[in-house]
Amino acid sequence: MAVSLSSVRLLSALTRSGSLCRSLHVTAVCCKNRAARPRVGKGDYPLTYEEALPPHYIGHRKGWLSQHTSNLKGEEGAAERTVEDVFIRRFVSGTFHNCLANEIVIKRRGNVIIVCAILIQKLTPQKFYFLIGYTEAMLSHLYKCPFKLVVQTLDKKAVYKYL
Amino acid sequence: MAAHTSRAFLSLGRINVPGLGLHKSVSRVTYSTGLSTDSSKATTGSPQKGGKKVLSKKYKREPGDPRTELMPVDQDWTAVYPVATPFIPDAIPLPVRMGCPVKGGAPPEKKGNLELIKIPNFLHLTPAAIKKHCEALKPFCTEWPSALDTDAKCDEHFPIKVETKSYVSAGPSIRNPAARIVHLSVKLSSLNLNDQARKKMLKLVGDRYCKDTDILTITADRCPLKQQNYDYAMYLLTVLYHESWKIEAWEAEKTVADMEEYSWEGSLSQENILDVLVRMKEAGEGEGEEVREQLLGRREVQEYKDSVTRLKNEGENESTMLQYKEAVKKVLKL
Repeated sequence: MAVSLSSVRLLSALTRSGSLCRSLHVTAVCCKNRAARPRVGKGDYPLTYEEALPPHYIGHRKGWLSQHTSNLKGEEGAAERTVEDVFIRRFVSGTFHNCLANEIVIKRRGNVIIVCAILIQKLTPQKFYFLIGYTEAMLSHLYKCPFKLVVQTLDKKAVYKYL
Repeated sequence: MAAHTSRAFLSLGRINVPGLGLHKSVSRVTYSTGLSTDSSKATTGSPQKGGKKVLSKKYKREPGDPRTELMPVDQDWTAVYPVATPFIPDAIPLPVRMGCPVKGGAPPEKKGNLELIKIPNFLHLTPAAIKKHCEALKPFCTEWPSALDTDAKCDEHFPIKVETKSYVSAGPSIRNPAARIVHLSVKLSSLNLNDQARKKMLKLVGDRYCKDTDILTITADRCPLKQQNYDYAMYLLTVLYHESWKIEAWEAEKTVADMEEYSWEGSLSQENILDVLVRMKEAGEGEGEEVREQLLGRREVQEYKDSVTRLKNEGENESTMLQYKEAVKKVLKL
C-alpha cells in the first residue's frame, strides 16, 4: 500500500513536471489488410508484376514462387521445406545484393533444388559466375542436396506499372 | 545477352560443379580506357579523398544478340532443351506473353517475366524427344512372353497377384511410411479346396472375400518393411489353406445355425408340407415312412423344395416369390 501511494505521488509529480510521462495512447483499430499491397504514389515509382499484384491474386493472376510436393494432401515435410525456402531466399538475396530484379523462384525435383533468379547487370559476368558457383556450392553443402542456380540477366527491371 | 546465354549452356550441362574454370574462353574484362566513350570524363575527374586515383568508367560489354536470332528453323530442339529446365526467354524463339494485362495494354512480354519461370514447362518433352528416349530404352527391354496373350491365361499361370505402391516426393528423404502396405489377391477357384474346406476358409477369412468376383484379398501392413509384409501375407495364405483342409473334432457339432446355405432335407418346411399332404389324404390310405417317401418323390413336392431353397438362399425378389407361389399352388392343388 505504502509503495503504491509513493509511486502515485511520484507519477503525479512527474506529470506536473512534464517530463518522463508515460501514458496510454489508444487509437481506433485499423481493420484493413495492408500486407504486400503497394500504396498509390505520384506515378513515378516502378513496380514489377510480382510487386504490383496483391496476395489475393495468387492462384488467379499470379503463380507460386515455390513449388514442391509436400503441400499436397497426405504428404509430409511441408514445414521443413518452408524453412529451407526462407533460408534460401535470404541467402540468395544477400549474396546478390541489389542485383536481383525480382523474387526468386524455387523448384524442387526429387532431391534437386533449382533456384531461378533474374539479375540486373550491375556486376561483371565474371563476378556473377563466381557468385553463382559460390551459392551453389554453399547451399549444396548446407543442405546436402544438389542445387542448381538458373540465372537470367536484364539491363534493368521489367516494369509492369508505375504507382 | 551473351552473359546469360552461355549461362544457359552451363545450367543444362553440369550436375554439381561450380562454374569457375569452364569459361576460359571469355576474355578478361579490364578497366581499359581505350574503348570507353567517356574517357574524357575519366581523365578530368578529380581524385577522390586522399589523393587516390579515380578509376575510369567500367568497360561494359555490349550484349550480343539473343540466341533466338541465331537459331536455324530446322534445328534439333532436343539439343536446346534436353532436360527439364526453367523457361529461358532467350533460348525459346516464341513470342510468348504471360500475365494480367495493364488497362489498354498487352500481357507482359517474356523477357524478365517471372510468371513464365514459375510454371513447369514441357519443352523437353516434344514428340521427337520422346522418340529418342524410347529408342534409348529399347535395348534394356525384353518382349512380353507370347504365350500369355489373354487375361485368362495370365490368371491361370499366375493366380496370386501382389499389389504394392511406392512414392516419390520432393525432398531429401525417399522414405514414405505408406509404401510398406502389401495387397495380395487370389481367386478361390484356383485353390484346391473341396466343399468343406471352402466353407471353412470362408468362415476364417470373413470380410476379406468378395462373393461377386470370388477374390480373396489379404492386406498386410503391420510390419515396417514391404518385404516383411509380403512374407507375412504369403504366410497367411499358406496357413489359411492348410487350416481349411484340417478337420477338427469339434467341427462335427455344426448346428443348423452355423450352416452357410439353407438345405431343405430335414428342415421344418419338409415336415410341414408332408404333414399337410398326409392330412389332405393325397397319398391315399396308409401311414408311416413309406408314405412320406412316396410323397417326397412326387414332382410337385420337388418343385416346392426347389422354390423354398431358392427363396431362403437368394432372398426375396420377384422371380423367387413367383416360383414359390406356383409351387405352392401345384402342391396344394389350388
